[in-house]
Amino acid sequence: MNIIETKKLTKYYGKSLGIEDVDLEVREGEIFGFIGPNGAGKSTTIRTLLGLIHPTGGSATIFGRDVTKFGPEINAQIGYLPSEVFYYDDMKVIDLLRYSGSFYGMDAKKVDVRIRELAKYLDLDLKRKIDDLSYGNKKKVGIVQGLLHQPKLIILDEPTGGLDPLMQQRFFDLLREENKKGATILFSSHILSEVQRLCDRVAIIKDGKIIRVEKISNLADNTHKKFKLETATPVEKGRFAGLKGMTGMTIQGNSISFLYRGPMNDVTKIIASLNLTNLIVEDPDLEEIFMHYYQTGK
Amino acid sequence: MNIFWRELRFYSKGLVFWCLGMVILIWTSMIKYSTFSAAGQSMTELLAQFPKTIQTIFGMTGFDLSKVSGFYGVMFMYLALMATIHAAMLGSGIIAKEERDRTSEFIFVKPVTRGKVITAKIMAGILSMLVFNIVTLLSSIFFIYVYSHDVSFVGDIVNLMLGLLCLQMIFFFVGTTTAAISRRPKLSASIASAILLFAFILTYLINFNSDFDLLKYLTPFKYFDAKDILGSGHLDWAYLAITFGLISTMVVVTYTTYTARDLDV
Repeated sequence: MNIIETKKLTKYYGKSLGIEDVDLEVREGEIFGFIGPNGAGKSTTIRTLLGLIHPTGGSATIFGRDVTKFGPEINAQIGYLPSEVFYYDDMKVIDLLRYSGSFYGMDAKKVDVRIRELAKYLDLDLKRKIDDLSYGNKKKVGIVQGLLHQPKLIILDEPTGGLDPLMQQRFFDLLREENKKGATILFSSHILSEVQRLCDRVAIIKDGKIIRVEKISNLADNTHKKFKLETATPVEKGRFAGLKGMTGMTIQGNSISFLYRGPMNDVTKIIASLNLTNLIVEDPDLEEIFMHYYQTGK
Repeated sequence: MNIFWRELRFYSKGLVFWCLGMVILIWTSMIKYSTFSAAGQSMTELLAQFPKTIQTIFGMTGFDLSKVSGFYGVMFMYLALMATIHAAMLGSGIIAKEERDRTSEFIFVKPVTRGKVITAKIMAGILSMLVFNIVTLLSSIFFIYVYSHDVSFVGDIVNLMLGLLCLQMIFFFVGTTTAAISRRPKLSASIASAILLFAFILTYLINFNSDFDLLKYLTPFKYFDAKDILGSGHLDWAYLAITFGLISTMVVVTYTTYTARDLDV
């Protein structure tokens, strides 16, 4: 069964395009990545699904029900963490979380137990005032309020910003645990590596349109690595001649950079023969993927 | 009910200060009255010699200032101004603050309709205004008793306070309506206060110059003019009907526009 299904979902803000003809199918029990550069339409799609804004065309269903007609019924089973977290500054963390819990018709004691459990795991001080929290801590409040009612669908919009690596790890563990218990997750991000770590499938959105839906395993096989080398003496281009899978080489004095996809041994053999002063190998950012892979692969 | 209590708690501190302000305003005014009345007839005669313009500016025309009821009638305009500023700010704020403080991505993804959120907020607003009104009523009666020992016109005060409540309700819903229509939440409070200011200034214009008399339907302050209420001893049914119509219209507009539009997130 599809938990989320959109058909030609379109949203214009006046004349400017938010999203156009978005077709998405998120299956029950999967962790679905939603990736694209900033301003591509990820948040617009999510806010339309949640009924915060209304579509100008097409339709969307969650749990098989139309989002524009059954908003409250659907929202009862959704946990949402917005990309920017804002809560009532005058409240204490515990009061805000209890307030959040009070909407779901849960037993107040159970809510409290769950709040304390999650807060302890994320190292969140419940007695502080929202106003005094750092951005990372506000994000933790967001995570707890999103998960405390054990929703069937968890929607996360750029959730990792502000979290340190340890917290990110715990947060991902928490999500995997909820997923194992049966929750479906829609995870939006502009960072490819974090989507790769967590998701089963991924939709790529650019300029308001879905340009590809792919299994993460397929994507990983095809992933380019970005190499940046610095050498003691300038290197001529010919040293890399015959290396298959290399694209976009630029040489600037003593530094060389290129994208590479292929057997690692082939490239390291060449690199090993150079007089290196520095070597960086990293995942290319999304824009580079789009430039070197998706525009041609489309 | 959770939203209702939350809103009530949020506004409680501000409400205490507003009420305190009203008590102090009434108290100091009545102290003024007591020195006034001690000076006797000479003060009233002095004031009567003031040019009409000055009298109008201070809202003194048509009142017998030697009587406590006359004095209170002049005071009522200031009470009404305070109460309507409170109401307009409350009405626009209680709706617009979720967008202004960017908490709409919290409250409006909960399993409640926007309509229910508004209902809870309006109920909390009305209760706040009732508290404001009752505090004003009780402190009026109390200080009038302390400084003049004249309790003969308690009934008139109750009438004036009913009028005050109507004014509060009108400007509260002016606030909710502007907040519901405007997608720029910071703007709605300014628009609501501009409407309030316009109505207040128009009242003066009408008092200055009888040529403007027909415009009295445009300003709610004229619906509940202390002079008329004290003179006739009751509220005007026609004005009450207009008030009812105005409020109902604004309630409908608030609900229909706010539930249909995109939220500013």
